[in-house]
Amino acid sequence: MRQARADEYAEFAAARAGHLYRSACLLTAGDTHLAEDLVQETLGRVYVRWARVSRADNPAAYAQTVLTRTFLAHRRRRSSGERAVEAFPDVPDGSGTDTPLRLTLLQALARLPAKDRAVVVLRYWEDRSIEETAGAVNASSAAVRTRCSRALGRLRELLGEDIGEYARP
Amino acid sequence: MPAHQPDDPFEDRLSAALHRTGGAFDSPRTELTAAGARRGRRMQVQRRAAIVGSVAALALVGVGGSLLLPGGTPDASPPSLAGNGSKAATTSYSGDDVVRALVKLLPKGAFTETESRGTDEELPPLAVGVFDDGKGPASLSLGLDRIPADAGKIDPSAQVMPCPEDGQGDLDSCESGLLPDGSAVTVYQGYEYSDRREDTKSWGADLVTPAGQHVSLIEWNAPAEKGEPVSRPEPPLTTAQLKKVAADGVWRRIIDAIPEEERPTASAGGHGGGALMPDYVVMRKLALLLPKGLDRDAGVSQDGYGSFVVDDGKGKGLVQVNVQPGMSADAGQLFGSGAETLPDGTRVATRQEPGEKGGAGVVMWTVDTLRKDGLRVVVSAFNTGDQTKAATRAKPALTMAQLRDIALSPRWTSTED
Repeated sequence: MRQARADEYAEFAAARAGHLYRSACLLTAGDTHLAEDLVQETLGRVYVRWARVSRADNPAAYAQTVLTRTFLAHRRRRSSGERAVEAFPDVPDGSGTDTPLRLTLLQALARLPAKDRAVVVLRYWEDRSIEETAGAVNASSAAVRTRCSRALGRLRELLGEDIGEYARP
Repeated sequence: MPAHQPDDPFEDRLSAALHRTGGAFDSPRTELTAAGARRGRRMQVQRRAAIVGSVAALALVGVGGSLLLPGGTPDASPPSLAGNGSKAATTSYSGDDVVRALVKLLPKGAFTETESRGTDEELPPLAVGVFDDGKGPASLSLGLDRIPADAGKIDPSAQVMPCPEDGQGDLDSCESGLLPDGSAVTVYQGYEYSDRREDTKSWGADLVTPAGQHVSLIEWNAPAEKGEPVSRPEPPLTTAQLKKVAADGVWRRIIDAIPEEERPTASAGGHGGGALMPDYVVMRKLALLLPKGLDRDAGVSQDGYGSFVVDDGKGKGLVQVNVQPGMSADAGQLFGSGAETLPDGTRVATRQEPGEKGGAGVVMWTVDTLRKDGLRVVVSAFNTGDQTKAATRAKPALTMAQLRDIALSPRWTSTED
């Protein structure tokens, strides 16, 4: 990579790493080690394709999409990981006051299938539209709608309608 | 401003909760950024190595898909390049020369099932085969190429495969250093699959000289890098032996004989070279080519391979595509006398056969195409969303005609979507 381009990449990576990491923490339901690994992999992929990425309309959105796909690919490679999720302790119903929201929410996210979780993170953390989300997870809009409403139903069940008072700003 | 329009207060609360939760994660940003760049450099080197060893790579296309090709025929003479005019090099080495040079440097044993390329071919020199020192057959691959000087000067340490940032990462060992002549060399002991879902070990040496000569030597403890059970506890050569073989002067002489103007690069847009189409490009093109009205969900993908699980309302079905450049030499083997040839020279073969991965009642419908420039596009559809599981419908969700349209689409050769 030539120096000017390398500098441009370094600037981009420094600006986006924090956000990507936080997204990865939500995607992995709080597994910070895996989150770090996913972000490194994402930045690595962006690095390899930087000549092309830097010309894209929105390199930040591109990086987020790469992160999502890297996460999903990781989950597919380790489909047995789905069983580990089942081993999570029972999720509190959200009405309890002694459980911090962060833990409750992460545990609830962990109970969702990986792809549903990705859809939730893209829709409600990244504020992406259904169509943008569909593009990022390589699914049709109809499939994303189905996943989204299924995930919302499950989260409502796990967290309670109010999501606890912690959700209030 | 959120792009979605929540019509449900729960969605608003969820969004707020996610932002509070996600925002609380404090990132080791500087380390992540540096580690990301290091990993990117490593990927670049590995990609280059994959292209160097692309005979082996192409023979087993599609880890998640089907095994399409039992072996390449790399010894075929290079098409049309001979008349290209001036050649910088006066000496040339055949594929057999490369194999002979390798055998001389290996410990006592037999080197069989060899495939090779010399210096006068479209892709860089290569020798792959099965080496047996008497303790079990092991696949071994040597790739030689020249690293283009980006700004006129090569920094071997920056170009050699770097060790993972934390020492060895998912490798058992990794060591990178300089030789007295200024060459940088990395020797590593790792696994074919970084998640170790199979026990296949992959050990190697990656060497770059100050003149940009690049030698990549890799060995496995199985007769093939993928898809064969391990045959011995460890690969045959020790790391010291790997290093010694990679550093031998013979490789530099051979690399110097590669004609300058015929060197393929990873970024070349043509389909005669070895670069695989990036996974996300394959997926985007395939997504655009699937018939409208199908519910689709992305499946496994990797560079040169993509798949979707589609549903037309009558049950799930897997659709996959393999896109392989530089396959002209294999035309005879892949497209027998029954194959059709279109006016533009594209060859088309169709197959309807039982699935390969053991799912009960699974059928696999395939349209296999080879364009004149060597680009092979193979589209298959299954009557199940998962080949290892039983059929979920009588026929695949796409007809043979639809598969044919996808395989022959000009999208695969377009630089646009």
